[in-house]
Amino acid sequence: MNKINKSNIFDTFYRYTPIALLFISVLNETDFNNLGLKYFSFNFSYILIFYYTLKKNETIGYGLIFTAGLFNDVVVGIPIGVSSLLYLLLCGAAAYLRNITLRPSLIKDWIFFLLTILFINSISFLVLTFIFSYEINYLDQIINILFTFLFYVLFVFIFNFIDKIIIGRRYAG
Amino acid sequence: MDTNRDDFVIAIRSAFLKKGTQQRFSLIALILVSILFLVLGSFNFKAVDYLKKTLKEIVYRASFIASGPEHVIKKNYSIISSHFELYDKKKKDTAELNSLRSKDLSQKILTLENIKYKKLIDDYLIKENETYAKVLIDKQSPFLRSVIINKGSKNKIKLGMIILDQNYLVGKVVEVNYFTSRVLLISDINSKIPVSLQPGDIQAIMSGKGAQSGVLQYTKDKNLINNDKETLVLTSGAGGLFKSGIPIGIIKKEENILDNNEKIVNFYKDFSQLKYVKVVSFTKEKLTDESSKIATQELDNEIDKINQAKETINILLKQKKIAEEIRIEIEEEINFLKDQNIKLQNKLLSAESAINQNKRIVEEAQFIKWNDLYGKECKKTFYNNLHKVGTEEYKNCVLSKGLLNN
Repeated sequence: MNKINKSNIFDTFYRYTPIALLFISVLNETDFNNLGLKYFSFNFSYILIFYYTLKKNETIGYGLIFTAGLFNDVVVGIPIGVSSLLYLLLCGAAAYLRNITLRPSLIKDWIFFLLTILFINSISFLVLTFIFSYEINYLDQIINILFTFLFYVLFVFIFNFIDKIIIGRRYAG
Repeated sequence: MDTNRDDFVIAIRSAFLKKGTQQRFSLIALILVSILFLVLGSFNFKAVDYLKKTLKEIVYRASFIASGPEHVIKKNYSIISSHFELYDKKKKDTAELNSLRSKDLSQKILTLENIKYKKLIDDYLIKENETYAKVLIDKQSPFLRSVIINKGSKNKIKLGMIILDQNYLVGKVVEVNYFTSRVLLISDINSKIPVSLQPGDIQAIMSGKGAQSGVLQYTKDKNLINNDKETLVLTSGAGGLFKSGIPIGIIKKEENILDNNEKIVNFYKDFSQLKYVKVVSFTKEKLTDESSKIATQELDNEIDKINQAKETINILLKQKKIAEEIRIEIEEEINFLKDQNIKLQNKLLSAESAINQNKRIVEEAQFIKWNDLYGKECKKTFYNNLHKVGTEEYKNCVLSKGLLNN
């Protein structure tokens, strides 16, 4: 009985960790997307959404991603719907990659992630600049894309490590 | 080729149209909803507007709660670091306080005179509404540097109200909800503030630079500010957006010397440390002729009082200075007299010793002279009991006999 309870706790933790991380990163004041450093920023939400939609689709629901996008828009102060659209496009790209992949490879995922974030940041730039007349700094955007791309691999290792700990414990328990 | 295209279409359809095992919505449906929000939002559709407001109220509170642990960590870090810096800060503050105290009176006079003259030209703004608000969320994004405060239309907050931290300009209200409001910080790239540069009274427009600094745009003549001193940046009041004379920041002298087009303004306040802010709106003071006369009279009286106080202080300071000089002179005189006294005492002692020496020589001469005459009357023999030759008693006896007979 005790073993079953332990297993349930780890299952619940495993299932809700990604979405909890997403909502915390969206609602928390410390935003990796803008740490106040001149030449350093990255979008943690993009990495999280892409990784979990690609690798563990069952742990993160589209409806919750859409809601997180709405929350992000409100907190950051950009028009409502922009982040949701970008997050969902990212999900779509990840789902497409999952469908066409027979033999998963980190390098291919990584390159595809770069193409995807370039595409969605272009969409974001177009929407914010031409429709809503926001001024956006090109250099900040490029730096953000570059570090998001570079940090993807690091976070993949971290997420895999966490998964191994949880799954390993579950089977051991 | 056709097979490849079919595969692509199938993969896309599967990704966007099919619902996964754990998914309640298909991607395409949610993407369409997002686009619908964007389109309706851009046309200010009322239903979307209400949804936005409701969402904002919920998210701001939720974000405040979610940021709770982070606030605690930040607060503790700040307390610890302030303890480490306490001693240096105290020394610096004491020095600064002393210099500021001396400037205070002159500044009071200038302020009152300024108010008086502004009233004369009908440009004097007074605070119409002042509210203190707490910063709920300080989420910075590259698109919009803004903070959320916990006062909204319920607390009579209106669009365009000015946000101050102490007396420094922080931003203005750009969005008002029922319980909360959004403040656009002056560091935002979209923020354009008409400013005045002092000294020189040069007019310019300042834009945010996305950090703790702003950048001057549209300066009338860039060469004018190329001096070797720091330049103060204040609101100019042009366009009626802000009250004139609210301090914003400084342009460092290194920046002034550089011949670049973009002059960086360093803000006085660190916007990442905002906790409580003042929300104010200004209006022109409406005074009737009689009341304006009374007010001017009161101001004049106050200026006179402060002037008198200043003069009194100046006189007292001069008196103190004179007294100090006199004291120093007296001390020098006392020291000189002390030296003289010591010298005289030394001379006196040497004179006394010389007199004693002379006295002894005279006494000796008398004794030798009278010893021959009266020595036998004092000398001890076997039949009398007088004094032994060479003793003090013998000498005294000879001298007393000599004195008696002469």
